[in-house]
Amino acid sequence: MSTIIEMRGISKSFGPVAALSNVDFRLEPGSIHALMGENGAGKSTLMKILAGVLRPTSGEILLAGKPLSLSSPRDGLDAGISVVFQEQSLLANLTVAENMFLGREPRTRWGGIDYPTMRAKTREALAQLDLDFDPDRQVAELGIAERQFLEIAHGIHANARVMILDEPTAALNAADVDVLNRNIRRLASEGCAIVYVSHRLEEIFELCDTVTVLKDGALVGTRPVSEMNTASLIAMMVGRELSDMFPPRADETGAPMLGIEDMVLQPGAAALNLTVNAGEIVALAGLEGQGQSAIARALVGLHVPVSGHIHLKGQTVPLPLPRESGLLKMHAAGLGFVPEDRKEEGLLLNLSVAQNIALGRFAGVPAVAPASGTRAVVQRMMDAMNIKAAGPRARVGSLSGGNQQKVLFGRALAAEMDVLVIEEPTRGVDVGAKAEIYGLLRDFTAAGGAVLVLSREALELIGLADRIYVIHDNAIAGEIAATEATEHKLLDMALSGGKAENA
Amino acid sequence: MTTVLRAAGRIPPAYLVFAALLAFLMWERPQMMNPNVLGIFLRQVAPLGIVVLAQLLVVRVGSIDLSGGGVILLVNYIISANVLPNAPGIAFVAIALGIGTVVGAFNGYMVARRRVSAVIVTLAVSIILVGFVQYLSSGSPPGDVPDYMNDLFDIRFGPVPAPVLFWVILTTCLAAFLNLTVFGRRIEAIGDNSVAAHFAGVPVERTVILTHTLAGLLIGVAALVQTASIAVGSVREGLDLPILSVAATILGGVVFGRGQGGVWGPFFGVLSFALLFVSMTILGVSEPGRLIAQGLIIFAAAVIYGLRTR
Amino acid sequence: MLPLLVVIGIVTWLSIGTDEFARPGNLSNLLAQAMPLLIASIGQMFVIVVAGLDLSVGSVISFSTAILALDAPGYLTFPALFMLAALIGATNGIAVTRLNVHPIIATLAMQYVVLGVTRLIRPVSGGTVPEFVIASVQGSFLGVPMPVFWAITVLAIGWKVLHASRFGLHLFAIGGGMASGQTSAARNFGVPETRIIISAYVASSLFAALAGVFLAGRIVSGDPNVGMLFELNSITAVALGGTQLSGGVGSLQGTAIGAFLLALLSNGMNLANVSPFIQTVVKGGLLLAVVSFQRRRKMGL
Repeated sequence: MSTIIEMRGISKSFGPVAALSNVDFRLEPGSIHALMGENGAGKSTLMKILAGVLRPTSGEILLAGKPLSLSSPRDGLDAGISVVFQEQSLLANLTVAENMFLGREPRTRWGGIDYPTMRAKTREALAQLDLDFDPDRQVAELGIAERQFLEIAHGIHANARVMILDEPTAALNAADVDVLNRNIRRLASEGCAIVYVSHRLEEIFELCDTVTVLKDGALVGTRPVSEMNTASLIAMMVGRELSDMFPPRADETGAPMLGIEDMVLQPGAAALNLTVNAGEIVALAGLEGQGQSAIARALVGLHVPVSGHIHLKGQTVPLPLPRESGLLKMHAAGLGFVPEDRKEEGLLLNLSVAQNIALGRFAGVPAVAPASGTRAVVQRMMDAMNIKAAGPRARVGSLSGGNQQKVLFGRALAAEMDVLVIEEPTRGVDVGAKAEIYGLLRDFTAAGGAVLVLSREALELIGLADRIYVIHDNAIAGEIAATEATEHKLLDMALSGGKAENA
Repeated sequence: MTTVLRAAGRIPPAYLVFAALLAFLMWERPQMMNPNVLGIFLRQVAPLGIVVLAQLLVVRVGSIDLSGGGVILLVNYIISANVLPNAPGIAFVAIALGIGTVVGAFNGYMVARRRVSAVIVTLAVSIILVGFVQYLSSGSPPGDVPDYMNDLFDIRFGPVPAPVLFWVILTTCLAAFLNLTVFGRRIEAIGDNSVAAHFAGVPVERTVILTHTLAGLLIGVAALVQTASIAVGSVREGLDLPILSVAATILGGVVFGRGQGGVWGPFFGVLSFALLFVSMTILGVSEPGRLIAQGLIIFAAAVIYGLRTR
Repeated sequence: MLPLLVVIGIVTWLSIGTDEFARPGNLSNLLAQAMPLLIASIGQMFVIVVAGLDLSVGSVISFSTAILALDAPGYLTFPALFMLAALIGATNGIAVTRLNVHPIIATLAMQYVVLGVTRLIRPVSGGTVPEFVIASVQGSFLGVPMPVFWAITVLAIGWKVLHASRFGLHLFAIGGGMASGQTSAARNFGVPETRIIISAYVASSLFAALAGVFLAGRIVSGDPNVGMLFELNSITAVALGGTQLSGGVGSLQGTAIGAFLLALLSNGMNLANVSPFIQTVVKGGLLLAVVSFQRRRKMGL
């Protein structure tokens, strides 16, 4: 088949920084094309150029052989290029139908919006994805998977010939991923060219036929997926073997540091109990939205459970914690929380690396206390974590994703906590930085700390943790030593809610 | 070269405006450029300068305080209307600081805990206080300000008037306080991203309430200085200070959540206003003309900053 | 919903409690009192839906009366007024969008500039307003007082534009994106964000000018202070009507109820001989109460 999109010699600079240099990228109709690379390799930039969000510094885009000039996402959509970005782009205050037609509303003879037509066509487009929800529902009421499907439906409805999916499964559970993959295959079989951006290798091998790898803004190569395996793909990206990602586990563990006793997350849910010992990394696994995040957030007052107690270093704290002061209270008691969303919740992007790290030392200190004596700590953290920045005064927002994540950990470590609760330690972080972060967490526990971690990636939990609790329906479905855990076993426990184990 | 240009681009507009106005005055009225005359100009803006200290604090945490007009009128009324006959000066000081602190704490509670729009809360508080004072005074000037307050206002140390010295000392103290304490760091963090600040262990609501309370206290101080600067009580004087203070703050390079201008940028913003008032008097600009000029300056400063922080 | 119940409550109370209230003269007077605020509030709502605020509304209203009271024929001043108002709104809108100025600062600055200009052309109240303006406000048609037609017209226009046009949907889309922190969401849908936001500020200024026309017709002269506090009262009315100041959520009927509620309050307090200064205090307190019940995600301006 003929090429539908050809990007030739694309370069893009932001000021003095070159994000892309001379990249060629071709898309065939009916192909599911994986785009891979470490963070900062230029994947997002390339896709934003294809979508019309950014304009290239040089280079050209050909659509079916004809030059294409894109100056806005609207132009991209009109040319049949549709994007489902990682960030949710739907408008929660509007209805499903309004979101489907926003920017291209059908009109009545009087110039008003033709709502009946909008509803009918929305139903039609959703039906193509085997979905059935009310066009008049507010998007705010939809779940995360439903929203993602709605975005895809939006693309289909715009007669997309090219569909770009940027980490579409990042927030989905296994069942939704299946539905998504089915729809992606169907779209491809109907002649749509699909670009699939993902960090998850297993998905690439399962779904895609072609893979393009970028590294440091340059093209490494484009290959058929059938010729590749995990090792060769990772080698293309970083030149590093998978096996040296995870540090060795602890030999022995110490006394209990963190205990959760009879926590009831929701009315009617079973009470759950767990412990984390000194020197141990304990993971919470499970399908999306089963309560892992609620457990972690309940520990710092960001989720309100029905009842329960926390035991922290022998101290007993009743639940629920107050929303405003819960985090500070636990911080004072030696428990630090590292949120998943480092841009919105984690870091102060316009402040310096030093300020971000030093803030960890100031929690619980009176407002009038002197803010001095943090320079040495900051420098120690930057050295120990190998944070690549122009210096302690560099703006955090100017760092790469991996280095930002390290600053976030640097703050938690600088605060000298005994227990860390970590959501998604390596979300959106490239392979190299991942290994370094895993090493840091192991160093922390080796020094007597305890870690409770959750992640969507089962392989990460198996590689990183000592023990894994599988969460199902707001309760603990099972507990397994990481050495015995496999992806298959975890999935089994997560799906069956622990019944398989008893059988 | 580019770094030099970029550094130049980061200079708060206040310094440029100040330099331009100073050059204009030196050229137009060189005879006025002596310490004594300048001291009198500066003395006039000392109340504004103190309100600006309050304003820059709250602006740094992404808030705003427009309630100063009401506080100033109320303090002014209490002192000049003989509400408390024969009260000692210290009582007035206590009342002014008390009113400022209470109003500031209320603003802070509404903004931080109840998450109400800061503009709306503080404007509403202001119109409530102004309405109340006007009701009490039936809209006419209440009476005389005690002489000793006017006398205090007129003291000079060499060419430096006491209110100006007081203002400079207060500014220096605030700058040191923000530079050296945890409070200053917390304000920066909240200004950048209050959610992330919460996760970083900053007591966000408490710090915002504290910031507003401190601002209220400073406005109480400004109300005293403002009252001392006039001989007869008034139900109008000082109403425009909050707006002017916002203008001077922005001119000084402190915008909502960002504070590259520090404390001295807004200080020079106030100096710019002092020179501006003089220049307009020299040029014979009428009251409407002043309103227009004030509006245009706020606009220009905001545009310069808006384009820069894009 | 609550404001509507309050309106019904106050109406009932005033009808029973005072003799004057239920008289046709007072009711028609009430509508005429409510009209400028209703018009200004509809305009204010356009801006609030896109998460902005227009603090220049009051000045534009005074400005409008001053222009109409100029010593010039009405066929010149009337169109000139709306062109100037559009220019004011466009300047606000361009400052907010293209020049990245916070809406409150931009419109506050504009409030000063317009007030200054108004005082230049009309330092104290006076002058005469074109006859057709007076007739359109104080006259009646088929025995029905003109304010009734004004109300029907502005509500119809407001409803059409906000709730039944692409422009309206785009306003809500942009506001929804801003309220949830996805500032470029609407743009990515191909909504011409800049143009729509500028149009919202233009609409606000045009409605304020229209409110000024109505007021000029009522007071028969130009007055540089007549618009004072309209910016706050219109925000109060819009917020009372359930429109979220963070953007994206609101309804015209809510705004209408909010405006009538405020007008009723004034009317009731006038009948009860409450000092105008205390009325200001009460309205300020009401604004505080209303906004303190609007839960926002973020604290700040």
